[in-house]
Amino acid sequence: MQDLLSYLHLVVLPQMVDALIVGAALALVALGLTMIFGLLDVINLAHGDLYMLGGYAAFTLIGWGAGYWGALVLVPVLVAIVGWGLEELGIRPLLPRSDRAVVTLLLTFGASLMLRDFAQVVWGTDTHAIQAPFSGVISVAQVFVPAYRLFVFGAALAAIFLTWWLIYRTRIGAVLRATAADPVMVASFGIPVRWVYGSAFMYGCGLAGLAGVLLGPIYAVFPTMGHDFLVMAFAVVIVGGMGSIVGAVVAALALAQIQGLASLWIPPVWAETLVYGVMLLVLIVRPAGLFRRFGEA
Amino acid sequence: MLRTETSRFRGASWSWRNAWPKVGERLMRALASPDPRPLRGFGLLMLIAAAVFPCISGSFYMRLGIESLLLGTVALSVDVLLGCAGLLSLGQAAYFGLAAYISALMYLHVTRSFWLVMLAVIGAVAVFSLALGAVAIRARGVYFALITFSAAEILSKIAHNTREIGGSDGLIGIPIPSIALAPGLDIDLHNNTAFYYVVLAALTLIYLGTRRILDTGFGSVLRAVRDNADRVSFLGYNPFWYKLFAYVMAAQIAAFGGMIYPLLRGFVAPHLLGFEVSTKAVVVSLMGGIGTLLGPLVGSIIVTFLESVIGSYTERHLFVLGGIFVVFVLFLPDGLFGLARRLAAKRAEHRS
Repeated sequence: MQDLLSYLHLVVLPQMVDALIVGAALALVALGLTMIFGLLDVINLAHGDLYMLGGYAAFTLIGWGAGYWGALVLVPVLVAIVGWGLEELGIRPLLPRSDRAVVTLLLTFGASLMLRDFAQVVWGTDTHAIQAPFSGVISVAQVFVPAYRLFVFGAALAAIFLTWWLIYRTRIGAVLRATAADPVMVASFGIPVRWVYGSAFMYGCGLAGLAGVLLGPIYAVFPTMGHDFLVMAFAVVIVGGMGSIVGAVVAALALAQIQGLASLWIPPVWAETLVYGVMLLVLIVRPAGLFRRFGEA
Repeated sequence: MLRTETSRFRGASWSWRNAWPKVGERLMRALASPDPRPLRGFGLLMLIAAAVFPCISGSFYMRLGIESLLLGTVALSVDVLLGCAGLLSLGQAAYFGLAAYISALMYLHVTRSFWLVMLAVIGAVAVFSLALGAVAIRARGVYFALITFSAAEILSKIAHNTREIGGSDGLIGIPIPSIALAPGLDIDLHNNTAFYYVVLAALTLIYLGTRRILDTGFGSVLRAVRDNADRVSFLGYNPFWYKLFAYVMAAQIAAFGGMIYPLLRGFVAPHLLGFEVSTKAVVVSLMGGIGTLLGPLVGSIIVTFLESVIGSYTERHLFVLGGIFVVFVLFLPDGLFGLARRLAAKRAEHRS
């Protein structure tokens, strides 16, 4: 009994805390993905590469002397601008088409290849480390957590809360939800729907950029980081329900726990496969995911 | 339109018993089918060009040609699904890779007989595609793409993580068999020219067979399902079976290419199951023209050779590929064939 308790306390609990932090960061990327899908019907395959771009941009800005905090503020804006370019030049012309879900998928895939190669041209194929702004370990009841990871958790939580507040508690959010439900009706009220689309897309991309900065010091930055993370974020969005804000957060936290805990008992690479297995199961049982799309009453 | 075509399917039902003795005749008819689409002549031209290709090229380009034909099988399978059934699969590489692994493992450990391996691949792919297809087809639109995508991703991860089948390094040193066409007539695949012609002949047969199947009432029902599944089910057809058959058929087409791949390259690796191959197949189909069946083959030939040429100048072939992709999605959504058709229509308009 004593053994079990100490096992839970010293092995399982730290793993869960770690998974909680990863889950919060994952939720950031998944939030952007799910917002863009909920509003525009667009599956943004370039989302992972925007996350990667965030990491690289932070690396460069810090190298230029902007400091970590400067990067934390600037990078989401920069990535949002890249996202704006993608939306303006690529996605908007395709939105009126009836098969927009498919063609935008293909377009963002092309954009993703280009971004990944662009990053390799600019930053090379090496892995770059980003220095965390502070070090130190905080321990509560013998559970040790690096202070920076705790900060990442806090920042991610703040961004998630801000997004929730924006969407569910402000006038902007009301317009957003109304647009998701019925863009034609919203447009007939004189609201410029294309700006709503554009700004939501930018916001989602900005979140991916923020995740890139936050996770940079933990995982370092490398060219395929976007792809690996995107597949995981996909799993999250699929399980939570495409276009569901709450679902993305809940599923991100849950899947991160599943992966974290499973890797205690099975090899970590198989834990990742297990997550996809869960996703496939959810797709089979409830193809639309666990939660409803935002904008649907 | 729908009624006449579907009733044709119901009445003069296509059966193997009628089909077998008339294979030759059917092939001729497929080549000379009175299709309004101007594909027949072009297809014949392409076949002739492909047939004389080995006479003017060295072994490097011949092997590249084989590779482009193998990519062509995946592209063709994407087109069967997307062009006819309206299903976007982002995981066709699953079947390509699965077949590649099965054939590699069998050549390494079980047998050297090409036909036995082929039988095993067909069986395994049929079972797998029936199971996955039955699940995936229930989901509509984007969800189908996501299910196929994640299934392929899982397979790729499993191949990546399993030591017994080589893990991330894959399997190397696969022996190259010879194909026993008839007793006493062996085709040695070490000979590049023979290899090339075998693959070309096989792909031609696959193409004609696919074309033929899709030109029957079955294809009409499938296209009707794509356009409006509800209406088709009101007519008394169950769209599920039509889609499932198309899915299994597409899987078999892609699996054929996968089965040959280890013989060409001598190795298999987890990336064959992955996202890159799946999406490349979609790119080249889009480039050639979705729904034309011939377009994807043209696209895969162009892209394979282009990649090789660009690759010798710059390592940035991903960038170029992505760029081609974006340009085609934005400006030429119906691909090269669509462009050609529009140009032809414009010229005809001018003339009249």
